[in-house]
Parts: sequence; C-alpha cells; structure tokens
Amino acid sequence: MKIAALYKRLGVDAPSPLLKQAPTALLYVAAVLGVSLSPVLLIASPGEVAIGVALILAATVFAVVIGPRQSLWDWGLIIPGVDFIAIGLLRDGTGASTSAFAALVALPLVWFAAEEGRQYVLYAALGTAITVFMPFILGKSFVNSHEMLIRGGFSVLVFGVAAAVINELSRTARHRLNKVRRLAEQGKDMLAESVQHAIELKQSEAKVREAEQMLRGLWYAVTEQSIIGTDVTGLIDAWAPGAERMLGNRDADVEGKFYIDHFHLPEELLERARELDYPAGATVLNPGFSALVEAARKGDAEVREWTYVRQDGSHIPVELSVTARVDERGETVGYLFVGHDITKAREVARLKDEFVGLISHELRTPLSSILGYLELMRDEDETELSSSQLRYLGVAERNAHRLLRLVGDLLFTAQVESGKFNLDQHEQDLAPIITASVESARPVATAAGITLYTELVEGLCVNGDAVRLGQACDNLISNAIKFTPSGGSVTVGLSAAGSDVVITVQDTGMGIAAAELDKLFSRFFRATTATRNAVPGVGLGLVITRAIIRAHGGDMGVTSEEGVFTCFSINLPMLEHADALTSA
Amino acid sequence: MSDSRTKVSVIVADDDPDIRSLVAFAALKAGLDLVDELGNGDDAWDSIVAFTPDLAVLDVAMPGKTGLELCRLIRADARVSTMHVVLLSAAVDEVSQQLGRDAGADDYLTKPFSPRQLAERLSLLAPSIGVRS
Repeated sequence: MKIAALYKRLGVDAPSPLLKQAPTALLYVAAVLGVSLSPVLLIASPGEVAIGVALILAATVFAVVIGPRQSLWDWGLIIPGVDFIAIGLLRDGTGASTSAFAALVALPLVWFAAEEGRQYVLYAALGTAITVFMPFILGKSFVNSHEMLIRGGFSVLVFGVAAAVINELSRTARHRLNKVRRLAEQGKDMLAESVQHAIELKQSEAKVREAEQMLRGLWYAVTEQSIIGTDVTGLIDAWAPGAERMLGNRDADVEGKFYIDHFHLPEELLERARELDYPAGATVLNPGFSALVEAARKGDAEVREWTYVRQDGSHIPVELSVTARVDERGETVGYLFVGHDITKAREVARLKDEFVGLISHELRTPLSSILGYLELMRDEDETELSSSQLRYLGVAERNAHRLLRLVGDLLFTAQVESGKFNLDQHEQDLAPIITASVESARPVATAAGITLYTELVEGLCVNGDAVRLGQACDNLISNAIKFTPSGGSVTVGLSAAGSDVVITVQDTGMGIAAAELDKLFSRFFRATTATRNAVPGVGLGLVITRAIIRAHGGDMGVTSEEGVFTCFSINLPMLEHADALTSA
Repeated sequence: MSDSRTKVSVIVADDDPDIRSLVAFAALKAGLDLVDELGNGDDAWDSIVAFTPDLAVLDVAMPGKTGLELCRLIRADARVSTMHVVLLSAAVDEVSQQLGRDAGADDYLTKPFSPRQLAERLSLLAPSIGVRS
C-alpha cells in the first residue's frame, strides 16, 4: 500500500510528460550555460541555440500544461519531437559534427522508444536523423562527402537499434508489469473472496448453532410426549427426556441397548402382525416390530393406540405416531416414535359414559313417574275431569314428552360421539320409509296450515337401518314444518343421482342466513331466524340426522335463501337392487 | 296356602317409591295378587325366597342386589328358578336389553312406561304364567 502510494506520487508507474521532459530540459540548459561560460567551446551560431532554448522551454511549458490532464497525454509525444529539433539546433549551433552535445539525443529517443508499439522505433530513428542531419535540413551544408553520409547514417542506425532494444525491453517490462498487476488484482479478489467466505462461514456456523440449540430446547421441552428414535432394526438410538418421564428408564440405560419392542406388549404387537397377515415366519424376522412400523415403512405417518410397558412393569395407554427418519438421499435410516399418554383421555371418556348413563337413569326415572301419574289421573274412573283440567293435563303431558325427547336426543348424541352407535342395516326400499314419515307428520302440518307434497321415485334401495332412516326423515320434515309459516308448503323428494340416492326436503319457510349455513350442524346451534321467530328446539336434531346419515356412508347438504326457502338434501350410496340388475 | 291361591302372585321391587307404586297399581289393575313391594335388591331376594311368587317385576338399578343379579340368582335357585321375571330399566340401548335377556329375564321393560299398557301386558301374561301349585 505504501509502496504503491510512493510510486503514484513519483509517477514512476505512469510518468507525467513533465517528469520525462525534465532531464532533457535541465541537461539542455546546463549544456547551453556550459558552452556560454566555457572559454574553450564556442557558439558558432547563437541564433540557432536561442531558438533551441526557446523550443525546449516551449516544450517544457507544454508538458507543465498537460501534466494534470491525463486525457491530453497522448499529445505529449509532440514534446520529444520538438526536443529532437531543439537538440539538432543546439548541436548545429555548437559546431555540428564537432559538437559535444550530440549525446543529448538519447533522451527524447528513450521517450519515443519506450512507447508501446514498434512504430515508435521508427519515429525515434527519424527524430535522431532530424537531429543529426540538421545542418543539411537548414541548408547550411550539403551531403558532399561520403564520409559525412556514412557517419550521420551510422549514428542514426546505432540510435535506431538502441531505440529498438529499448522498445523491446520496455515492451517486456510492460508485459511483466501487466502480469504482476493482473496477479495482484487476482490476489486482491481472492483475498476479498476468502474474507467473504469466512464471514459467510461464521454466519452459517451461528445459524447451525442456533438451530441446534432450538432443537435441543425442543427435545428437552417435550416432557408430556415420549419421543424415541431407532435405527431401521428398531434398536433405540435416541431417548428424549419425555420418554424417561413416561417410561422411567434413563437414556444412557436404553440407547444402543434395547429394541423398541421391549417397551411394547408382545401380544399386542403379534395381534397387529396377525391383522396385517404376515406370512407365518417367512420373510419377516420380527413380526411385532414390522407391524409397528408397517405404515411408516410405506411412507405414511400412522397414529394408533398401543400400550407401553414402563420400567416398573406397569402399563400405560399411548397414542403413538410412527414416522420414518430419512437421510439426505431420502433413504429410510430409522424410525421416530412419538407417544402421547392417553390415560386421562380414556378416563374422561369413561366418565362421560358414566355421566350419560347417570342422565339416562336420573332423568328418565322422574319422567316415568310424571308421565305415569298423569296417565293415571286421565284414566281416573271415579271422578270426571273438567274440560279445562283435561287441557292442563294435556299441556303437562306434552311438555313431559318434550323433555323425554330431549333426554333421548342427548343420549343419542353422546352415543354417536363415543362411537357406540350401532345400525341394524338391511336392504331398505326408501319410498315406503319416507311415505311413513310424511304421513305421520301430516296431522301436524295440516294443523299448522301447511301443505305436504311428495315426489318419490319408487324402488330406490339403500343398505340401511329403517328406524334410524325414518328418524332422519322425521327430523327434517318436522323441522321444515316448524320453520314454514301458515299457507306454505313442504315438498319431500326422492330420486337417483349417479351412484347415490338423494332425499330432499324443501320448504317455503323463513330460510337461513348464508353466514349461518356452515354452523347448522354444530351441537346446540340455533339459527337467528329460529330464535327470532321463537321456533322451539335446542339444536340437536340436525346433528343427530347428519350422524345417522354419515353412519350410513352418506352425507347431508343444505341450500337456503332467507325469507324464501330452505332445502336439505341427503345423499346415500345406492344399493343395486336385485330386480333392477336382472331387468337391466 | 297354595290351594287358596287363584290369582297370579307378584312382587315389585324398585328403589323409587313413586315408580314402585305405579307398577303396583298396574299389577293390581291387571288383577294380580301383589304379595310384596320392596325398595332394594337384598330385601327383594329375601321376599322372593319367602313368598316364591309367580312373577317379579324388578328394577335393574337398585341398591343392594341389582335386577340383573337377582335374575341370575332366581334362575340358579331351584326353589324359584321357574318364576317369571320382568326387568324394568331406564336404559334403552340394545346392549342393556341383551344383558337382561342373558341374565334370564322373560321380559324387558323400558322407562318411561304407560301404567295402562303395563297393566294390559301383565293381564295378557297372567294366563301363560299360570298359578304355580
């Protein structure tokens, strides 16, 4: 850096015209002074010398002027050109061939010769020739002797060869310099690059460390789940603190020592292996372990309930998710087992069942008494009840039945949720089931001033539970009647659509706001139109209806326009009727 | 005593006195001979052994012995094994009814029930049960 600055200051690297001109100018002035003061030497032609001095000075001033403007340096070659003439004049003015100052010609010659390009050798030789042959140019003497011509010509030749040598040397030097410069540039680039690499390396190291810390934090933070890693054979190689907490064993006692199936109930694993139907003893070395990772091996993530065996031998029910660990090439190198203790969940489910049982008993028993005694009162033979007493009885009975239905619906919903909901499925012709529902609803509809229509295609069958399907139809039809004002109508349709049977119940009722349509099947949800119009209900009917339909492998949909209509549809997979098959 | 008996004898057991009375009422209306009313399973068993009635209407969920346990005891005891048993329960699901049948009950009645219909059912049952000598 310091050397480069020094070079730059001196202009050695790219010398300025003034620097190149200075030696010539100084030596020229020294020569003129020397010859003026010398008692021996004489100035033959003071006019020529004066012009020479003037030319040198002019050239030097020019060098000073273009010095700071590098763009003008190309014009700088005028300077040595003028120098040649000035030196020629000095030589001629101080005795021509006898002059002591012919050697000055070397300086502008070097200037020319050092320029890049062979043509400058010629220019240098030409400049030398001008200097040497100045007397002839000025017409002061003639080429009258062989000797002079040979001497002048030889001088030009020698200086020309010198110029050629200098040109070649400076060409080589320039070439080397460029090479060194290029190398220096490359070195600089490489240095910058490696500095950049070092920075990036540091950054990525920090990132890796951060990710590692994150992972480690996560590993220790998961205390409620047991995370266990194994290789492809099931040998445990990672044992998270959560696993220690759940199973009791410490990581050091387990890693590399136990296989994962050590912590499972062998009979459970074998049972699963049987379910997966592995050929007896043939290709599967450890059927239990294979059963455990079956789905993960095929690239799926499986969640299944298993029983873990703790260090003290006690059992713990877990919901276990098994996934494959893969390396960067995507090859399976092991498995991850994430287990979640479901003891509490099972306990909650048990309590819920118990609660449902309790409700069933505790609510139905008093209702039995209420309904039973109301009936006794109605059947009382001894005293005739007045018409208003009979009306009061009717109200009490109706509401007791309503309460009973609600209890039934709650129980049914609970059964659906706990998966204890069985269907008695047979081939069912839907038209008679729907007709029965419509007919049982007709008295209520008539009383409410609503007309019931049916558009049923006969002979469409499903595999279903007649009672439950009837219940679903009852629910939709009674809903439609409840939500339709007097004078309206309800149309129940049954048709085929592709491989499905479609039941539709469409009313001309108050409709449902579009924003509420997707909440319609949530428990205890009641539409705004229902509460606004004080339509009785608790919001279980549609939940139950959809549960029944889904248990049959079907689904429900709804379309509505507020104040215009609502249409519920039920899709059920159609059962190809034996008759239909034979007639087809 | 057996000579004087012309009517089908019945005992009723339910921990809820209101329901018990309702069943008793239906039994009387059906023309049966109500020999005892009990509020728990243990008393019911003593009464069954003591009176050897033709019919017992038993609540499934009772303190002491449950209706199901009583049913199994009755079927296992030679003195009373042939008597008719009607179980009464608030559970309406298939499983509970199947449990009742497995325990040896002849009939399974779910709450709530209509006393009128229960009376009709009992009076229809009476001839088939017959008065045991």
